[in-house]
Amino acid sequence: MIKLENVTKEYPGSTVALRDASADIDKGEFVFLVGPSGSGKSTFLRLLNKQEDPDEGRIFVAGKDIGQLSSWKVPMLRRNIGCVFQDFKLLPNRTVSENVSFALEVIGRPRHVIKNQVPAICDLVGLGDKVDKYPEQLSGGEQQRVSIARAFVNRPLILLADEPTGNLDPQTAIGIMRLLDRINKTGTTVVMATHDRGIVDTMRRRVIELSEANIVRDQARGVYE
Amino acid sequence: MALRVDYIAKETANNLVRNPSLTIATVLTVAVSLALLGAALVIQRGVDGLNTRFKDDVEFIVWLSPEATEEQRQSVDGALADSPQVRDHRFVNTEETYAEFEEFWKDSPEVLEAVSPEQLPTSYRVVPEIPDLAVVQSLGQEFEGLPGVRNVDYAGEYIKRLNDFTRVASNIMLGAALASAAASALLMYNSIRTALFARRREIEVMRLVGATNTFIRVPFMLEGMVQGVVGAAISTLAVFGLNRVIRNLLDQTSFRLFDSFALDSAQLFPVAMTLLGAGAIIGFVGSGIAVTRYLDA
Ligand SMILES: Nc1ncnc2c1ncn2[C@@H]1O[C@H](COP(=O)(O)OP(=O)(O)O)[C@@H](O)[C@H]1O
Ligand SMILES: [Mg+2]
Repeated sequence: MIKLENVTKEYPGSTVALRDASADIDKGEFVFLVGPSGSGKSTFLRLLNKQEDPDEGRIFVAGKDIGQLSSWKVPMLRRNIGCVFQDFKLLPNRTVSENVSFALEVIGRPRHVIKNQVPAICDLVGLGDKVDKYPEQLSGGEQQRVSIARAFVNRPLILLADEPTGNLDPQTAIGIMRLLDRINKTGTTVVMATHDRGIVDTMRRRVIELSEANIVRDQARGVYE
Repeated sequence: MALRVDYIAKETANNLVRNPSLTIATVLTVAVSLALLGAALVIQRGVDGLNTRFKDDVEFIVWLSPEATEEQRQSVDGALADSPQVRDHRFVNTEETYAEFEEFWKDSPEVLEAVSPEQLPTSYRVVPEIPDLAVVQSLGQEFEGLPGVRNVDYAGEYIKRLNDFTRVASNIMLGAALASAAASALLMYNSIRTALFARRREIEVMRLVGATNTFIRVPFMLEGMVQGVVGAAISTLAVFGLNRVIRNLLDQTSFRLFDSFALDSAQLFPVAMTLLGAGAIIGFVGSGIAVTRYLDA
């Protein structure tokens, strides 16, 4: 599903964020990307949906070399990749269901599809009774559920999560991990950057460890260290 | 891909009311600059009309004094016939003069009543070989001194002066209109940039979930074009108003010379279309540059 071949990414000012990274992630896998701040986790994720382009190496998503993708096809790639962030990126002037609908509206989905999918996905993430609330009326955990609903409503092949529990207390974080696990069980490939040792050690999934831009470990059913 | 019309309409409307003061400022700037453009166009059309009316009118008029004898008239006639610089000359008798006079003052019966044909002077209409004002003037002076001649009028002179003046005036207005059109495109650019900045969160999410650039772009481009066209509509109303004022003034003076400056609706229509088109272009260019620079950054 995802394949990196000797990928190097350097930011202007000669900061190397990822050096000669190779990895192969199968469909339906759940992968933790661990490592300290600045080790290149977010860069790894941003390369997968072409928010950044590598300086060297090739990246394949669903069998396609995304470096060869013409710019007008990038939106189609992104429709297959959901994104979740530490800061949720919700729109404050829209309700829960409007935030979720937004993701379908802006890719031109017909109204009846939106009408069906949005309530269903809000139920799935456990916010069926809060669809008319605004983000500021919700707890952090609930806000993250909205953002997961938004990322998942289009049934993407891949879900990228960049420290989704970074702003949450441990108890709330467990709820979010359960939700991501459920989404993974539907066949969606999940790649999650985190430096939450507890979560990684409890879940025992594949771990790719980054250190100063290098992949230093790639371990099935791994722990944080 | 279906561009959802309801979504685009909603977003465009939201953008327009999000920052009303900037929207109004942009619309008014467009309106003022296009009103200038419209006024310049109206004046140019007036001048063009004036020129078609007087295109052939390079003649000058040698007025005979009412006391001139038949002998004097014949010697003036002879002098005109002999002059190599005169191509053609024609005697206009009192009846003909009165007919012109009647036509000219047809709206003022009180003037007509006060004048009878016998009181009007006779004249020669003279077409010179070289239709140049300086030549015509020196030629005219030759006849001014002849006995029986009251004075010489150069019809073309006034037209030419007026022509020069209005040309300069309309060119200055055209220059000012272009400069302020550029200014309004710049303000448009800033207005749309502000709208893009206000909506940066939405745009970030749109890009992440795979909205196409076209989809992101269209509401902002439409916002610019709506502002441009609304401004243009205001300027069109202003130009129509100006035209109405000119017409009223002309009607009051019953002075037919400037009639071509009051445009009829067939002449106003292309002016209105030009203004609306220019407004749409200002909106399109200003917002297009803003959106392209923002989305490609
Ligand atoms: N847009 C950017 N421009 C320049 N340098 C960046 C940019 N984003 C990240 N970096 C640098 O690249 C390195 C890796 O960053 P990042 O991928 O965000 O790591 P992590 O997510 O593991 O904290 C860091 O040194 C960071 O400062
Ligand atoms: Mg990061």
